[in-house]
Amino acid sequence: MSTAMNFGSKTFKPRPPDKGSFPLDHFGECKAFKEKFMKCLRENNYDNSMCRLQSKDYLECRMDHQLMTKEPLEKLGFKDLMDPPPSQAGKDNKA
Amino acid sequence: MLLPLLLRPPLCLPQASAVLTRCVRMLRCGAPRGLHSQAKNFLWQWRPQRHQARGRSRKTQSQEEEWRNRNKTALTYIAAAGVGMIGLAYAAVPLYRLYCQATGLGGTAVAGHDTEQVAMMTPVKERVIKVTFNADTHASMQWNFRPQQTEIFVVPGETALAFYRAKNPTDKPIIGISTYNVVPFDAGQYFNKIQCFCFEEQRLNPHEEVDMPVFFYIDPEFDNDPRMARVDTITLSYTFFEAKEGQKLPLPGYSYS
Repeated sequence: MSTAMNFGSKTFKPRPPDKGSFPLDHFGECKAFKEKFMKCLRENNYDNSMCRLQSKDYLECRMDHQLMTKEPLEKLGFKDLMDPPPSQAGKDNKA
Repeated sequence: MLLPLLLRPPLCLPQASAVLTRCVRMLRCGAPRGLHSQAKNFLWQWRPQRHQARGRSRKTQSQEEEWRNRNKTALTYIAAAGVGMIGLAYAAVPLYRLYCQATGLGGTAVAGHDTEQVAMMTPVKERVIKVTFNADTHASMQWNFRPQQTEIFVVPGETALAFYRAKNPTDKPIIGISTYNVVPFDAGQYFNKIQCFCFEEQRLNPHEEVDMPVFFYIDPEFDNDPRMARVDTITLSYTFFEAKEGQKLPLPGYSYS
């Protein structure tokens, strides 16, 4: 770990997050979305790719309640989940 | 016992050793001549050399001057080299840092790590990586801090969300501040957090429980790195410390440059 006392060994350098820190959700406003996301993870054997829609919903909730700075979702890596044409809505859910 | 020591000629003084050996031989043979006369003989051997030295003194004066000059130039060269080395030692620090950034050695953040990349990157679907989560608190920190999922399967190039939960079981508000660690080290440079709860003070009121999300992704370059070919598991470990009022954790300075 980073406390290894070897001289000259590589040490881990933590980096600050790109967009800073999440403010704490003291009132549990987005708890429901979080529960949906966790449920999805448990059902899909903790595979993140299957639950991207739920994670997108959670982040959107945060943005709506001022718990996160508003950003276009493409910048958060949800380009493939964005506003597909209505006919393809069902097919594009699987990222 | 001492005789062999005396007989062994010392390397720097061959003349002295010659005198000594002769002395010893004399003592052994039982000296038909007196010691006094022997001593006179030896002294005569020493004296002429001294006379010769005085005769040559004028000639060697210019030689000595030349030697002094040569010594001076040699000394100045050596001094310059010494100063040069000290300067190099000081210059090595930023140079090494530049070198590390250029080659990406030692886990330093490779430049070109920006938000545009998040929008543009495509997930590498074939490479599934398991990310395990670990939560720790400092000994004096009274929060209950644990991850809400033990592991999650992600692919490089895809953003992922994970949750930790923290509860303050005490009757007074506690401010915590956290830092993280990624194992294996080399994978740490590919592990990018878009947003998390670290490095800033987080205040929990008495008996309050919150969910703490971490939004991250693994750089798609991860798949192209030969050193990462056998890495299938990455462990993200957070540790919470108690923060004193108004104290700020110094952000790691080198990682900004």
